[in-house]
Amino acid sequence: MTKTLTPVAGNHACALAAIAAGCRFFAGYPITPSSEIAEFMSRELPRVDGVFIQMEDEIASIAAIIGASLGGSKTMTATSGPGFSLMQENLGYAAMTETPCVIINVMRGGPSTGMPTRPAQGDIMQARWGSHGDHPIIVVAPASVQEIHSETIRAFNLAEEFRTPVVVLYDEIVAHLMEMVELPAAGTIKQVDRKWADAAQANYLPYAETPDLVPPMSRPGDGHRVHVTGLTHTPDGFPTQKPDLADRALMRILDKIEKNRGKIEKIEAIETDDADILIVAIGIVARAARSAVASLRSEGIKVGLLRPVTLWPFPEAAVRAAANNARVVLVPEMNTGQLNREVERLVDAPAKVAGLHRVDGEPIAPGEIAARIREMIAQ
Amino acid sequence: MARTEIRLAGSGGQGLILGMHILFRALGIEGKRAAQSQSYEPTSRGGFCYSDLVVSDDAAGYPLVTGLDMIAGLSQIGVDRSMAMAKAGSLVLIDERLVPRPPEGLHDLHILPITTRAIALGSARVANIVALGALARLSGVVSKDALMEAVRLETPKKFAELNLAALEEGFALQAGVVATEPA
Repeated sequence: MTKTLTPVAGNHACALAAIAAGCRFFAGYPITPSSEIAEFMSRELPRVDGVFIQMEDEIASIAAIIGASLGGSKTMTATSGPGFSLMQENLGYAAMTETPCVIINVMRGGPSTGMPTRPAQGDIMQARWGSHGDHPIIVVAPASVQEIHSETIRAFNLAEEFRTPVVVLYDEIVAHLMEMVELPAAGTIKQVDRKWADAAQANYLPYAETPDLVPPMSRPGDGHRVHVTGLTHTPDGFPTQKPDLADRALMRILDKIEKNRGKIEKIEAIETDDADILIVAIGIVARAARSAVASLRSEGIKVGLLRPVTLWPFPEAAVRAAANNARVVLVPEMNTGQLNREVERLVDAPAKVAGLHRVDGEPIAPGEIAARIREMIAQ
Repeated sequence: MARTEIRLAGSGGQGLILGMHILFRALGIEGKRAAQSQSYEPTSRGGFCYSDLVVSDDAAGYPLVTGLDMIAGLSQIGVDRSMAMAKAGSLVLIDERLVPRPPEGLHDLHILPITTRAIALGSARVANIVALGALARLSGVVSKDALMEAVRLETPKKFAELNLAALEEGFALQAGVVATEPA
């Protein structure tokens, strides 16, 4: 074998990727099953002249990374369900103030403190709609240790390119799984930096309406006057309640994501072209589904898997196309039907969508998915 | 696609996760792909604990166990609660002291003095490494050289000699094996 494989656990891969992507500020409050990320960052960030702060809670953690990002750093925090709940208000603040930052949410059993060491996928909708108000958000959902590495890097790059918070969402199993990973050599990793405003520019507007919908940020020290507020604001950064201006302000930050779906969306499609039966799944469940696809295909059953890698914005066109080609759609997930309803919303006949759910803290095995599909065929 | 599933089963505090990290590392040294997982409970001592390893070339495949090919058992509860996952004919090696009731069924069963040998070496805590050596020898899943290298990489320097001795002991155990294969 010519490729160099390194044994790495999921959370470790996340932290390695963050530093490789240019993260130099981490503020967090360690929580199972994400704690190894904070542990690694506390050790490694000082070695690259970065800053690690253990905060008093998760509200302060996300506040700190927003502040540090406005101060010019690439920043990250990491948490799990209970902490992610506390972060929701400031997550909306980051979206509204267009502050690039990365939030890792390692999903465990919920609600409330739930089952700290058991896997779940119960935060799919929270990651999209947890913060109040219509707000833009990007969420990526890696399914392997290798992908935690690549998607964490992509999360930083998307955050910088679109001036938006990006959530990396994965479950306890991949967080603690050890796999052989091909780590890209230093220097080969693509790093995107936010668009900086021209230091000499007079009359700089922090929320300027540019053709690409992403306003350039002022580099701290360049002398621009910048006002940052969570209140609905005009391009100069100051609050407004004028209907036409308020509409323009919110629609621009929503369109910024919506009109750039082509650059943000990412899916993995396995044997979907001729699939009578389509599985839609994310994370560890998608890996079980992939194994089920292989065994069912060997029995001659035409089944395929569509896996959203970018979970939000949801890959609507890809899911619609694949689901409408299929006779039935199965959505296995470790919750009571969050992804399921999102798929139902998109298909021509919602009745053809079935769910397979577990909320007992145990993963859904390949055999369970295959058995359910055999049942569906028999019906 | 060739796939081998291995479990170290026992109780919290026996070094089962470290044991699997060593095997995982050794396979990596040989250029093989694997995925290592464990049950991860708030209880860190006692109770049911296990660590699993799936050896497969399919890097994107299902990384958790679905049918065990090999089990090394270091507690009765560990063995009792893992056997439902064992394939017929799987390699099962158990400690003669800690697993007084051997599992029933058609298994390639080996009852070994794992902890006795570990204690003779100076510490019951290296039973995980003795078990690993015995498992490697009986299954051929990994070479002794790679395993020795992995022990050096994954364990503290001051315990390197003890751990390497434990590994040797595990490999030597095969000679004195008490194999019982129930009909």
